Order: sequence, then C-alpha cells, then structure tokens
Amino acid sequence: MLRALGRDWPAACAAAFLLLLVLAALAGSRLTGFTYDHQDLDHAFSGPGTGRWWLGTDQYGRDLLTRILYGGRVSLAVGVAAVAAESVLGVAWGTVAGFYGGRLDSVLMRIVDLLIAFPSLLLAVLVTGIFGPSLVNIVLALTMTAWPGMARTIRSEVVALRERDYVEAARALGASPARMLLRHLVPNVVHLLAARATLDVSALILTEATLSFIGIGVQPPRPSWGLMISESFQSLQSHPYLVIVPAAVLSGTVLSFNLLGEAIAEWVDPKLRRRTA
Amino acid sequence: MIGFLTYRIALTVPLLLGAALLIFLAGHYAPGDPAQVLLGDHYTPAAAAHMRHELGLDRPLAVQFVAYVVHAAAFDFGVSYVNPARHVRDIVRQTLPTSVRLAALAVLLATLLGVTLGASAAVFPRSPADRLIQIGVIAGLSVPSFVTAALLVLLFALRWRLLPVAGWGTPQAYVLPVIVLAVAPLAYITRISRASVRQVMTEDYVRTARSKGLRTRAVLLRHVLRNAALPIVTTVGMAFGYAITGAFVVEVVFNIPGMARVAVDAILQRDYAVIQTAVLVYTTLFVAINLAVDLSYAVLNPRVRF
Repeated sequence: MLRALGRDWPAACAAAFLLLLVLAALAGSRLTGFTYDHQDLDHAFSGPGTGRWWLGTDQYGRDLLTRILYGGRVSLAVGVAAVAAESVLGVAWGTVAGFYGGRLDSVLMRIVDLLIAFPSLLLAVLVTGIFGPSLVNIVLALTMTAWPGMARTIRSEVVALRERDYVEAARALGASPARMLLRHLVPNVVHLLAARATLDVSALILTEATLSFIGIGVQPPRPSWGLMISESFQSLQSHPYLVIVPAAVLSGTVLSFNLLGEAIAEWVDPKLRRRTA
Repeated sequence: MIGFLTYRIALTVPLLLGAALLIFLAGHYAPGDPAQVLLGDHYTPAAAAHMRHELGLDRPLAVQFVAYVVHAAAFDFGVSYVNPARHVRDIVRQTLPTSVRLAALAVLLATLLGVTLGASAAVFPRSPADRLIQIGVIAGLSVPSFVTAALLVLLFALRWRLLPVAGWGTPQAYVLPVIVLAVAPLAYITRISRASVRQVMTEDYVRTARSKGLRTRAVLLRHVLRNAALPIVTTVGMAFGYAITGAFVVEVVFNIPGMARVAVDAILQRDYAVIQTAVLVYTTLFVAINLAVDLSYAVLNPRVRF
C-alpha cells in the first residue's frame, strides 16, 4: 500500500495532511493553549499572526486555530462514527441479501431502493430537523444517509463472489452458511469496503458541514467548520480570513479523503484483475 | 415496450407510499405535542384532548397514515404549526416554482457545460486541458457549495460589484446562485461524460468510422455521443438530486424565496407540518425525475426493454 502511495503523489500528500490533521486535532488545546470557547472581547477580530493567536480571533475573541482544531475533532469524530456504523449495517445487509438471494434479497433490496429514493441531505434534514440536532442524532442521520449505498455495492460484489470456486468448495466441505459468510465472503469484500468507506467519510463530513452551516447540525458554542463559516458570513467583506481559513481546511480535508479513497479504489482494482487473470 | 413502461411507472407508487410512510412516522414520533403548539396560550388539558380529537390524533396509527396519504394526494397538507393562518399548500404553491426554476437552470448549465468539457477531455487525453478538467472535477466535488458561494460573492459582488450579493428577480440576481448550484452537478456530469466518451472511443465501430475517412467531428456526433449518452442521462437524474440538496444552501445564502429556504426556516422554528411537506414534495420530485430518466434510458437503449 505504501508503495502504491509512493507512486501517486497527490494521494500521498492527502494522507500526510490527514495524519497531521488528526494529530493536531487530538492535541487541541494542549497545542495552542486556548480553549475553544474562551472569549476575549478586547481582542476580537485580530487578524492572523497578531499577538498570541496564530490564526487570529473571531468576533467573540475566541482563538481561531483552537476552534479549527476542535471543529476538526467534531467533523472527524462524527464522520468516522457514522461511516463505522453505516459500514457495519451496509456490509451485513448487503452480504446477507447477496448470499441468500431469492425473496430475502428482493425484500432487503426494495427497502434499500426506498431509502435511496430520498436525496441524501433530505433524510438528514428530516432526522435532525424533527428530532433535534444533538451529536447522536447527527451521526444517526448521516448513517441513515449512507448505508443503503454501501449495502448495494456490497451486495453486487457478494452476488459475483458467491459463484466462485472457493465458496462451492467450502459448501462441499460442509461449511455452515454462517461460516461461509464470515470466513469467506466478508473478508473478500473488505477491499471494496475500504475504498467506499473512505469516500463516504468525505461525503459525510461534507453533509455534516452543510447541516451545521444551515443551522441544524452542530450547535454553538461547539465549533464545526460549517458552523464557523456560517457564523462569519456577515463579516465576509471586513474579515474574510474568518471564512477562508475554515473553508480551506474543510475543503482540504474533504479533498484529501477523496484522493485517498480513489487511490485505495485504484489499488484494489488492478489487484483483483491480476488475481483473476 | 408498453409493458416495461407500465411496470416502471407502477413501481413508483409503492416507492412514494414508502417515502410517505417514513415521513409520516417521523412526524408522528416528533417531540412536542401539536395540540399544545396550536393552542398556545389557551392550553388546558381538556382543550388539548378536544383538539387532539379534532386533529384525529387519537385514531389508530394505520388510519392516521391512510388519512395522511389521502389528504396529501388531494394536496391538503394542513396548516403551518407556527402560523396557523397559512395553509402549507399555499406556501408550497408560492415557493416551489422558484426552486424548480433555479434547479432547472442549474442542471441545464451543468449538463451543457459538463458534456462539452467531459467530451473535450476525452477526445484530447492527457493534454493540459484534460488535466485541468480532471483537477476541476475533483475540486468541484470536494469544495462545499457554501464555500464556492462565499468565494464568488467575495469576488463578484463585494470586490468588483458586478453582481448583487443576494436577492431574486432581476436577471443579474440569477447568475451567482445558478452558478453555485451548478458546480456539484457539473463536476459529476463532466466526470461521467469523460469516462463514457473515453470508453466509447475505444470501441471498434469508432475505429471503423475513422478508417472509413469520416471527419472526427462527424464521428463524434453520429457515433460516439449517441452511444456515450446512456450513462450521462442517468447522471443528469442524479444531478437533479444534487441540485435539490444544494438548493438548501444556495437559497439560504442568497436569500432566494424558494421552498428549500422555507423548509430551513420551518426547521429552525420546529414547524413540523411544513418540514414534512417539503421533504415529501422534494422526494416526489426526485422520484418523478428518476422515473423520467429511466424511461428515457429505455427509449435510448433498445436492449433494456423487457
């Protein structure tokens, strides 16, 4: 994998950026010395590089860098949690549907088709708009948005895989369906899962940012990059850095996950082709 | 062919019913008591019980759902919880055309520009234009719409004062919202167009046409585009989905009186009737568009009809 990254330098940069981001986000306050909600109204709107604030302060005098890092914590945590949940659900659903086929497959996939009929943001809006924008609800909403797509992808792969020789051999040796599922099918969809999950992280981080921007995502004073952008929108002309910095970090993170996900998808594909060739 | 058409259209009915069920359940299990909300200051337990009976909330769930569907089919969505004088139906009627116009313009721009860019990138592979377009696609997919909106507003409205910052009605006011809304669909359509045209250009019949001596332009128009059109048409359907979800941000940022903006206000005010109806209307729109896309797919690709 590292060798594949070495050849594809945009993806390598992306991976490095994400690693840096995760480490910095985990360090948070210990790195900058401020908390994300500490207000210093005497020094509101200081530009980047002035005084103790490396990136400046916002309209309430809160350190921008700290808020960016904590916003990173929120976005990454929400994104990863949602992707973990949707992966488990999607893989389980898709594997069972693909493996058993027949009527079970039909029923399971009809439900998936129903959920895919909703444009993704709309489902999230329905959940957080009606049940309230707590962090748990946000993760729930994002999971509901993403798992049908994963289920569909995994099911297609399982349908192709169940005709393979090793599955037939396992069945001939007397393996129970559960054993066949767990030991043979699931490990062989993991590569597809990895590629898809990485791309889903970028999509879900984007959705969470959009929800927070509209006002039905993460609530103040907890920072989220989308929320920070919407809070600073009125100061766009006077203090553009308050919008530009979170926007750049958000775009960079989403871009990095996209590049990484595509690199994984490519790495996985020729490997498959080589195996069956 | 007619059989396939009826089958496909018949499939949308359970889909819409399922969507309505989900939306109905979300509204039913929503926190808060509608009777309390509607009574406001005049709340007494007796009045609330009476109001609940009037609203039909003490009937069995299945009956309530059927009533909901029947009313919705007759375009009766009840009254707004926040402003009981306004019928939700009227709110929808006043704001939906604006949203549809905005989305249609954005998708039109995205399709025309996207197919052109994608096809150009495919016809000149690995050229600087191709690389630039590829980078543009990834950027368009990664940068959120409110960021592009902020950037464009900063440059074109605030610094250079060429276009208005927000609003709706004058032709100049259309420009920035349509462009911002078109970015995500444009990126997807360009990517699919490029992949599809590239794939078709490797086919044998293209080589045959070229070796017959047909000029590249004739080859492109008559053979390549017609065969590459299929996945692109499907993506246009998806593009509408992106336009619908993107509208939530664009209408809020540019203060456009469309249904998405109304929905966002309703969410912030906990106006469940409006939220439910907005989601229902948008989903129905989305399902209808996907149906149109699937049907046109059958028209374009004779192999698909059962």
